[in-house]
Amino acid sequence: MDFARARTMMVWLAAGIIFDLLLVESNSVQILLGNSAELTGYWLFGIMVFLALFNLRKKLSMLPLGNASTWLLLHAVGGILALATYWLHTQSIWPNGIYERALAVLFYLTVLSGIAGYVVQRVYPSKLTQTGVEVIYDRIPGHIAELRANAEALVLKCCDETRVDTLGQHYLDTMEWFFRRPRFGFSHVAGSQRSRQWIRQQDANVRRYLNDEEKTYLDELTNLAIRKNRIDVHYALQSVLKRWLVFHIPVTVALMTLSVWHLMVVNVYAL
Amino acid sequence: MGERDVEMLRARPEIAAIDDDAFPDNTPLEGIIRNDTRIVRYRPGDIVVREGDYGNSAFLVLSGKLRVFTGDYPDDLLGRGSVEKKGLFAALAQIWQNSIIPEVRDKSQFSTQALRQESSKGSRARRRESTARVFVQDIPVVLNEFKTAQMVEGALFGELAALGRIPRTTTIFAETSATLLEIRWQGLREIRRFDEGFRRIIDTRYRENALRIHLRETALFSGLDEDSLSKVVDATLFETYGAFDWHVSYQRMRSSGQTGAQNEPPIARQGEYADGILMIRAGFARVAREYGSGQRTLTYLGAGDSYGLEELYAGWKTGKSVNLGTSLTALGYVDALRVPAQVLEKYVFPNLEIPPGPVVDGIDRTLAEDALLEWAVEERFINATQAMLIDLNKCVRCDDCVRACGSTHGGNPRFIRHGKTFDHWMVANACMHCADPVCMIGCPTGAIHRSQVGGSVVINDDTCIGCATCASSCPYSNIRMAEINDRRGVALIDSESGRPILKATKCDLCSTNPGGPACVRACPHDALSRVDFHHDTLGDL
Repeated sequence: MDFARARTMMVWLAAGIIFDLLLVESNSVQILLGNSAELTGYWLFGIMVFLALFNLRKKLSMLPLGNASTWLLLHAVGGILALATYWLHTQSIWPNGIYERALAVLFYLTVLSGIAGYVVQRVYPSKLTQTGVEVIYDRIPGHIAELRANAEALVLKCCDETRVDTLGQHYLDTMEWFFRRPRFGFSHVAGSQRSRQWIRQQDANVRRYLNDEEKTYLDELTNLAIRKNRIDVHYALQSVLKRWLVFHIPVTVALMTLSVWHLMVVNVYAL
Repeated sequence: MGERDVEMLRARPEIAAIDDDAFPDNTPLEGIIRNDTRIVRYRPGDIVVREGDYGNSAFLVLSGKLRVFTGDYPDDLLGRGSVEKKGLFAALAQIWQNSIIPEVRDKSQFSTQALRQESSKGSRARRRESTARVFVQDIPVVLNEFKTAQMVEGALFGELAALGRIPRTTTIFAETSATLLEIRWQGLREIRRFDEGFRRIIDTRYRENALRIHLRETALFSGLDEDSLSKVVDATLFETYGAFDWHVSYQRMRSSGQTGAQNEPPIARQGEYADGILMIRAGFARVAREYGSGQRTLTYLGAGDSYGLEELYAGWKTGKSVNLGTSLTALGYVDALRVPAQVLEKYVFPNLEIPPGPVVDGIDRTLAEDALLEWAVEERFINATQAMLIDLNKCVRCDDCVRACGSTHGGNPRFIRHGKTFDHWMVANACMHCADPVCMIGCPTGAIHRSQVGGSVVINDDTCIGCATCASSCPYSNIRMAEINDRRGVALIDSESGRPILKATKCDLCSTNPGGPACVRACPHDALSRVDFHHDTLGDL
């Protein structure tokens, strides 16, 4: 068994033991007619604070605080543990009361966005690799501008040399739209092949009206479009990989804020 | 070099002893002197060669006295300084100490370099003297405190390191004003090739100084008695293949599209008679076998590896001639020792406790299994001891590795998460801490050097003069020249040239930070690792 697999098993085992102990202790309190929500509430808050520390670990990369991959595993397994502890704490999936429901909405949004983020992080990297190109996200606008400039130069050259503007008109009518900025974002995110089909269709639409000389230019233009499409895939998928955190972190901050207030209110009025 | 200098050199006894007639018309001795040598003058204290540096030239003392360290001496004498790990608090303090302005330097650190604000004549003159060379200060104290030996007019040194592409083994500095003839490795090679006397001198010196120890440390010869070992030492031949500045010819070869074993300098051909084993002393060589219409790489050899032993042993054992089952080509520069078959059969094979493996007669791996090896050899990543390898099927392109690097290096990352890709692997543009560090050749101040601890290649920022020799030499474009700024973000300007002061920057494996490379630790998906292509099994990556 390799290190990564053994580490994963150990963390899951530890999470299981923690939850079992919590469950036993919670039942014991209830049997003694005590309030187990206090116990599970503090545990839940503690787990949430620990989960939030992952972001701090990222900021403190200069310190030997262990591998980020171990932290991510703890974060993911801890998130599942937090969900189980939340249900144990509330004794229901959907609590009563406006404030509790607000907390529940934020909690579920945090968990769901976390799961969604985990899934896209597992699925998208290989999809990016399969494009056959590798681009740095910040440089994508530059790559697209370069491809657009190449496409326009190609079309102008075609018009100049063939003295026919069929391809030029086609570019202005359809392809210019495609080269202007990243396109088919939702299709790429959903894993659809619509963009490739669109490029093939545009090629077929105009090819029948071109002479042999123009067709060589169209071939080059289509190749540029295919390259641009690969960069579009990178733009769409890398955008998701980067932006899901823009949702996950704010809802986490909101959840933590409301949780602290909840804790204060409970301590002042209920205990 | 002018006519008078050439005449003066020709009249010197060391040069006059070289047989002019042995040189062919297209490579005359005078041409070598004119093109491959130069006269260099050193002031008292100037360091000529530093222990651990890689150099591509030898030196002949024309006048003056030099001193060679024969005992221990502190690193800071050589302008290197020692690298100390930060403590936990010092590491944490980077959070508030890191400036938002990249590459900030303390101006007072550059007191020996002229800045715009310090444009007096004195400072310029001082810069010329102090930045071109690192020098030993207070010679009498050094001579008193450390063990040294004197070298006088007529002494030749540095030729073994230059020809063998190995680090200098000692440090030599000028005791008095001295004039030296610096001979480039190309000149050395030609003189050694055509002049019997010169070759004998160099070979004898190597036999006396290093060969016996080298063979004694090799498993094949470690069991020999002193007499037998002496016979092996006497019979061993020295050979070099490929160009010393292989990165230049390799880049030329790549740009012309002519890559692969068939375009590399041959060392041994498949099917030929094996007349001895080749032991690689420096550089890399490709072991390949004919496959289809090309050559298929089976493995590659580095320093300490040998070639041809299996065939020779099988031939000796069976009494029949066994031809080479593979070919060997130089991946750049290769310095090798050839131990003749007769010597092996007489002194080594009869006493061999563990016989070598069988001769290669086929390939039992698929093309797909060998593809990564073929790529690593083709791109010369085999040179790496710490290549940054990214598994693109795991990498989420979050750039946490880049941010971690920046946070441990004053806000400016020391690598680019971009590079050559193969299948789902990427070797990013980060210093690979090469086994054969081309970048270290020619650094005028020895600022780029191999760390005493861990062997990584590091740059001393204080003695780097921003000449970009290392950045230009790096075949992988992994060294960046960075403009440096003061704390207000104003670029520091060299008053002499009027241009920004540059410093060479590259990955230092976080040598000053606790916990090892921050990039590896920062990756949440275990996508990034530092690998040695020579030792880590490619198939296991």
